Amino acid sequence: MDRARRRSGLLIAAAALALGAAAVPSAPPLKAMRWLAPGANAARLLTRRPVECLKAPGDPVQAYLVELGRAAFRDPLLLGGQAARAGLACETCHQNGRTNANFDFPGLSGRPGTADVTSSMMSSHRGDDVFDPVPIPDLGGPKATLKISQAPGSDALPHFIHGLVTEEFDGPEPPPAILAGLASYVRALSPAACPAPASEPVRMEEAMGDARRAIRAAIAALAHGDSRSAQVMIQAARSALGAMAERYAGPALAPARQSLAVADLDLAAALAATRGHDPSATGRLTAWLGRSQAMATGLERDAPRSLYNPAAFAAVETPRTGN
Amino acid sequence: MTSGRLKLCGLFMVLATAAPAAAMASGMGMMGGGQMPSTSPAMPSGPRYNAAEEAKSGAAAFDAGRFKDAARYFEHVTEVEPKAAVGWYMLGMARAAAGDDRSAVRAYEKSVKLDPVRIDARRDYAVSLARLKQADKAGAQLDGLKSEAASCNETCPQASDLKAAIAAVQQAMTPTQAAPGPAARLDTPANLLFAASQAGDLAYVRAVSLINERRYPEAMASLDQAEAAFGPHPDILTYKGYTWRKLGRLDRAEADYKRALVMAPGHRGATEYYGELKVIRGDLAGARAMLARLDGECAFGCAEAEDLRRWIEHGGDPAS
Repeated sequence: MDRARRRSGLLIAAAALALGAAAVPSAPPLKAMRWLAPGANAARLLTRRPVECLKAPGDPVQAYLVELGRAAFRDPLLLGGQAARAGLACETCHQNGRTNANFDFPGLSGRPGTADVTSSMMSSHRGDDVFDPVPIPDLGGPKATLKISQAPGSDALPHFIHGLVTEEFDGPEPPPAILAGLASYVRALSPAACPAPASEPVRMEEAMGDARRAIRAAIAALAHGDSRSAQVMIQAARSALGAMAERYAGPALAPARQSLAVADLDLAAALAATRGHDPSATGRLTAWLGRSQAMATGLERDAPRSLYNPAAFAAVETPRTGN
Repeated sequence: MTSGRLKLCGLFMVLATAAPAAAMASGMGMMGGGQMPSTSPAMPSGPRYNAAEEAKSGAAAFDAGRFKDAARYFEHVTEVEPKAAVGWYMLGMARAAAGDDRSAVRAYEKSVKLDPVRIDARRDYAVSLARLKQADKAGAQLDGLKSEAASCNETCPQASDLKAAIAAVQQAMTPTQAAPGPAARLDTPANLLFAASQAGDLAYVRAVSLINERRYPEAMASLDQAEAAFGPHPDILTYKGYTWRKLGRLDRAEADYKRALVMAPGHRGATEYYGELKVIRGDLAGARAMLARLDGECAFGCAEAEDLRRWIEHGGDPAS
């Protein structure tokens, strides 16, 4: 019997004893808590992450592509099907472009840090009906340990990523520049670029920085006449704001969430303008960048009471018996 | 066309093709129905500044977060082109971003007078007024935006702008004071994919896999098992509807989607799939109404809205 089935059986028995009938448990404060192992210390695990080992390219074209790829890598909407609906992005398994030793998705993971990449739960193309989770590779690790060639002249990596997006996760066809950007981003990850120490706190400033980088990439994409890639970037920024809003949990931090919601509405309007090829799109995005600085000041003030703060997180975390 | 108008059009053309950071001004001119002035005042000894260059520098400074510098550049733009609403608007934005709402209001006021149609200027004017505790004036702007939104009924091209503007002004007018004490839990809607595992019943999870494997009769049996375990749940009903659709029973699919939406009116999956069903039936207006609901429901965007949008654009399943 595989691990998922063993767990299922145990849980069924426990639930039957405890409840008599199954009840739908409440959702955790952060989506990411859904894919932590039962009993894991979420306050500790979700407030630190591996450092990003990104070697910034000197070539402006490559730098642009890396920014496109970096933002798309962090957006669940790049993927489709269950992954996107559950909130999984490439970055979920590859935190900051690395690995995620704590990833434990029910029915998809064996031991934490593994995933069955041929599961029908996520894919209508690649399901093989065999529970065979594999370790999640560290994309910032030595290139020789990674199974796909990252040689600049080889198309193996973009081909692999394309299959991963459109087949493994049933995502829509990504715009060509986004696909090239994802490959460029992964290629730009290198052990030589890893700063010390090995991990860093998860902070509001970086999250806001990610949103702003995505919007700058959107502006650059519009300047390249690439509306589709710009749309992907704007959506990536919206997702980044959504992830921040989760961290500002509870009624006490409603004003912070409200400011994020207003910022999101601005981006939704800019996205609509971009879809409609409205020439005002660039101006809207640049204006958003200006407004976002004032918003960040307010968020920074409230950050100590948010789930970015391990102590505040520990204070609100509900003991969990499962995912 | 007067020479002044030609000059200003040239200004915005320059900015439109400039570096992305400096392209703001071109966009500003197009937002919310902005218009160019017809004339430029006669300058006794010619303009002191080149409006295009000053606007470009101002946009770059704004983008870099040097708001006081940006304001100075935009002041130069308004000196040269005092009847250009967009110049005053940019000046207002830079001043507001620099924390000087009082001066920003004066600039916004001129922009709004020159071009009463601009949504962005009215919005930011009202936000600055609210921050200055001038609730009456801010409220008047808000009422105007609301009235326009009511006429628009979420279908006009400015719908998303109006929605964003109203939210921004309302937020500025009624800032909720953060209560002391630690943050409390966030109420996130439960997703049965996880909740079912936690509760110890994987029939629903199996059903999702079976649907992906296109084994619809078995998926329906698993969904029935899940329903027996959990009772009627909108996630289960949504997938039952989806499975009925795949089995060609559109009537039963619709019934399940409707049941899911009665239980959870904002249910994203049910709204998406019901929208897709409407596309299949050729009811594109109905599908667009479902999409509008999703766009309203999905703060920060969602896959359900994007998938339905692709269905509508494609006139059917985009994967087919």
